Amino acid sequence: MTETGLPASVEAIRRVREDPHRLGHRAHGPAEIIAGAGHGMTGPASKRIIVGYGFWIYLLSDIVVFSCFFAAFAVQRGATAGGPTMDQIIEVPRVAMQTAVLLVSSYTCMLSFAATNARSRLWTQVFLAATGILGLVFILLELQEFAELAARGITPQRSGMLTSFFGLVGLHGLHVSAGLLWLGTMMAQILVKGFRPEIVHRLICFNLFWHALDIVWIGIFTIVYLMGAG
Amino acid sequence: MFGKLDLSAVPLSEPIPLITSAVVILVALGVLVLITVRGWWPYLWHDWITSVDHKRIGIMYCLLGVLMLIRGFADAIMMRTQQAVAINAEGYLTPEHYNQIFTAHGTIMILFGAMPLVLGFMNFLVPLQLGVRDVAFPTFNSVGFWLTASGALLINISLLIGEFARTGWLPYPPLSETAYSPGVGVDYYLWAVQISGIGTLITGINIVTTVLKMRCPGMSYLRMPVFTWTALASCLLIVAVFPVLTATLAMLTLDRYVGWHYFTNTAGGNPMMFVNLIWAWGHPEVYILILPAFGIFSEIFSTFSGKPLFGYRSMVAATLFICVVSLLVWLHHFFTMGAGAAVNTFFGISSSIIAVGTGVKIYNWIFTMYGGRVRFEVPMLWSMGFIFTFIIGGLTGVLLAIPPADFVTHNSLFLVAHFHNVIIGGVVFAIFAGAEFWFPKAFGFRLYAGWGKVAFWCAFIGFWVTFTPLYILGLEGMTRRLQHINVPEWGPWLYVSVVGVAILIVGVVAQVVQLVVSIRDRELLRDVTGDPWDGRSLEWATPSPPPFFNFAVMPNVEGEEAYWGIKLRAIETQQLAPEPKYAPIEMPVHSPVGVYTAFFATVFGFAMIWHIWWLAIVALVAAFAGFVVFAWRDVHEFEVPAEEVARAERARRASREALLRKLSEEGALP
Amino acid sequence: MSNLASDEELPTGVLDNREDHSPGDEPLEDAGHWVRHANLGLTLSILLTAGAFFLAGSNIIYGPAVPIALIVLAIAQMGVHLVFFLHITTGPDNTNNVLALAFGILVVFLIVIGSIWIMDHLMQNMMPTRMEDMMQMQP
Ligand code: HEM
Ligand SMILES: [Cu+2]
Repeated sequence: MTETGLPASVEAIRRVREDPHRLGHRAHGPAEIIAGAGHGMTGPASKRIIVGYGFWIYLLSDIVVFSCFFAAFAVQRGATAGGPTMDQIIEVPRVAMQTAVLLVSSYTCMLSFAATNARSRLWTQVFLAATGILGLVFILLELQEFAELAARGITPQRSGMLTSFFGLVGLHGLHVSAGLLWLGTMMAQILVKGFRPEIVHRLICFNLFWHALDIVWIGIFTIVYLMGAG
Repeated sequence: MFGKLDLSAVPLSEPIPLITSAVVILVALGVLVLITVRGWWPYLWHDWITSVDHKRIGIMYCLLGVLMLIRGFADAIMMRTQQAVAINAEGYLTPEHYNQIFTAHGTIMILFGAMPLVLGFMNFLVPLQLGVRDVAFPTFNSVGFWLTASGALLINISLLIGEFARTGWLPYPPLSETAYSPGVGVDYYLWAVQISGIGTLITGINIVTTVLKMRCPGMSYLRMPVFTWTALASCLLIVAVFPVLTATLAMLTLDRYVGWHYFTNTAGGNPMMFVNLIWAWGHPEVYILILPAFGIFSEIFSTFSGKPLFGYRSMVAATLFICVVSLLVWLHHFFTMGAGAAVNTFFGISSSIIAVGTGVKIYNWIFTMYGGRVRFEVPMLWSMGFIFTFIIGGLTGVLLAIPPADFVTHNSLFLVAHFHNVIIGGVVFAIFAGAEFWFPKAFGFRLYAGWGKVAFWCAFIGFWVTFTPLYILGLEGMTRRLQHINVPEWGPWLYVSVVGVAILIVGVVAQVVQLVVSIRDRELLRDVTGDPWDGRSLEWATPSPPPFFNFAVMPNVEGEEAYWGIKLRAIETQQLAPEPKYAPIEMPVHSPVGVYTAFFATVFGFAMIWHIWWLAIVALVAAFAGFVVFAWRDVHEFEVPAEEVARAERARRASREALLRKLSEEGALP
Repeated sequence: MSNLASDEELPTGVLDNREDHSPGDEPLEDAGHWVRHANLGLTLSILLTAGAFFLAGSNIIYGPAVPIALIVLAIAQMGVHLVFFLHITTGPDNTNNVLALAFGILVVFLIVIGSIWIMDHLMQNMMPTRMEDMMQMQP
């Protein structure tokens, strides 16, 4: 309330009438309702879009985590502290194998999503299982690599370079493992509950997650392995 | 069995932490007993702890923030008094203890005081201002809050069990590496900040999605209130840089726990990389805090000037400009670490450019007041005090952003004065202004203005008396984080600063008194209309406090300042819009998954800090199991029947109609 | 707020065709469409990946250009993934998704390039650790 005892809104109406120049005022009259004009004018989006979009934002933030580990690798790749260098620890054939496995798993993941959209439980499960098995093979290959390196005394404790190498590749491996855990849970959910809306939403998210991990892997095999081997 | 944990972890020889924790534990026990005796547990459990209502979560965030502000303030009092008595003397705090205090002070104030408050405001306001009924992911919202609380709990546990870091609020290696900080202090820091950081990230994602995907019909981007815009910008920054914090702390954790070499000064580690990464988070972090503060002030200036915000579009543009440019300036925190001219120049210039965006905002606020009928209510006092204080803080920031000048002032008390100038004058003033402004919305009655004014003047004067001496001392060469002082000439300024702290204490007391008096007189201060300040955005269209579903019918927005338009039409036509058809509403059911996760996060953090590996594994498995159970639930929502919606809405309409009648009887209507 | 209801109104097996879409999702498509997309994405990815491994192991192009070629191939393949697997398009229904992606790329770019630039600069001003470098500092 102002000194005149009136709410400012009442005074505003008066003043707008008294103030032909409308200093700093804009019109507030009713305007046309623009239905379906895009820009989210038409009210809240559906749950499906909200979930997908929120997960998308999460993925972007996860990529930022990776970017820090990439930056650390870029900065420390020369910091061998007298230990082995990149080209001494890389085995291109295994990386090619891992890349192939992960790429095909992205493909089967996509097919499972196509099956979900066709509401085929069986094929969804089959393709999800294929994705999981391929992911598992990927992880086993990575573990094999790490174990062989460790057997040669090449561990992250050896040098800054190795720290950043194991950190970056290991972080990706950790994500894939978490993805496998999630995948198992999703398959169980489909088995028990079928395609409820919220389960389909989660499958969309899982699909996004898995493809994003493949995108990160493209960065890793290019920058760490191929460029490190050369 | 218990890792590194044994009885020697309790600092029996140090009375200050011991007595403090004893008092805290007693008070906490007292509260628990009271709750039990009164039988309040069911209410607390159903309506607050497991609530997924964004308003409740927002209020709990603010409560946590206020508690932590008080804890941090106690640290501050100890530091200022220690420096005043330790001139050519020992003082009453040992170096080990003093170092823990300044570390805890910085960490708590920024991450557990200011952040929860800012996030609390965003949580409470954004859905209301957008005209919707909840945030995008209500249950995750609860998880986010409880994870933050879990981090705060861990930090406070360190008071009694073990110790806290002695590294400063950003634990620079190599000091923070195992070789130089073998104790659990840094581990407490790492896990507390890591856990709460993840909570913050969740909230950030939540609010970005809410703003971009969940606006009521007609609420296009350029009709959103400025506070919502700043919340969006701030949360975009959270999404962009909190992962950097997560990554950086994870790297330091790996160094400390398994002997890796990210930041060690041996074997090819690179301590400077930590400084680089942590500031890539740290600078945007201060803008995460200040942008919503700008939003709060924008709402207050236009409401209490009775005018639309001057230059609304330029305000939005400036917000987004600051959001992007603040990602480009982080090196100004380590100009002195030896980069060459090219790098220092680039970051010096980009830092100064931020001030342009801020300048646009300052002019907009001033022009909003110009030509308006300014009401000097308490929120407005804080806002005007902010303009004055923040301009000085921004100017000293620009000074620091000039690399050659920074070589003189870096890590001096001048720097300390700068950031307190912007954080207290900007963020904390905004919090108090906003609390005063939205308190009636949250609780249904206003705060008693008299004590609010006392609090404002004490804070304003106290702030300047405390920190002006620090600017001078900084220029005289006093560095930050000194446990004792060997230059007697600095004494007088340090005494003045203590006087300032005393004034600030009076201000804090006034705030508490204000709260008590207002609760006592709440019937007199009751806000019956739901629009106590003649507000302009949609939150004022709801009753105070709003029903849990916020809006009986989703508003249909037809212009900027959504509610103002509705209100003016009602006044001009002397009637409310015709009564709508009420439909049942679906609302999310409450869920204990938030507290559950946070409980095991706390256990996990504690186990990791003390190297109790089995417990850490148990906690992880339990947390995962909790998520699976949560994912399995069948009921996500419950229906509010149309009659209940109608009842709430009719009550609201009745009070608004009464107001209109009263105005027309007084002959006030035009 | 419930939007589940609006999902259920739609015929099963079909996505809603509102104005907006989330990533990884597309309006009103039969399963065949998704499979075609997946096939195309897989084929392009195989070509690009094979190209990258081949280039790295051979010397048919100018040596110093190999890293650049590899990065170009990687970016191309990321693009393929985004389009064919994540279904990011340039359509108006995707504006928000693309904007978020652009913001994310900006942040990644700033952090990686910024860190490399800054840390490289710091190195240049370090005291040399090897004796030979120290000698070169002599006037
Ligand atoms: C006009 C805008 C600003 C500029 C140009 C600026 C510039 C700077 C510079 C150059 C420093 C580093 C000084 C040094 O370490 O030697 C600094 C420190 C700091 N600034 Fe600002 N600043 C600005 C606004 C802000 C705002 C709005 C906040 C918070 C809300 C803030 C919070 C801080 C903090 C917390 C530190 C010190 C951190 C530490 O070293 O522990 N600044 N500022
Ligand atoms: Cu800064």
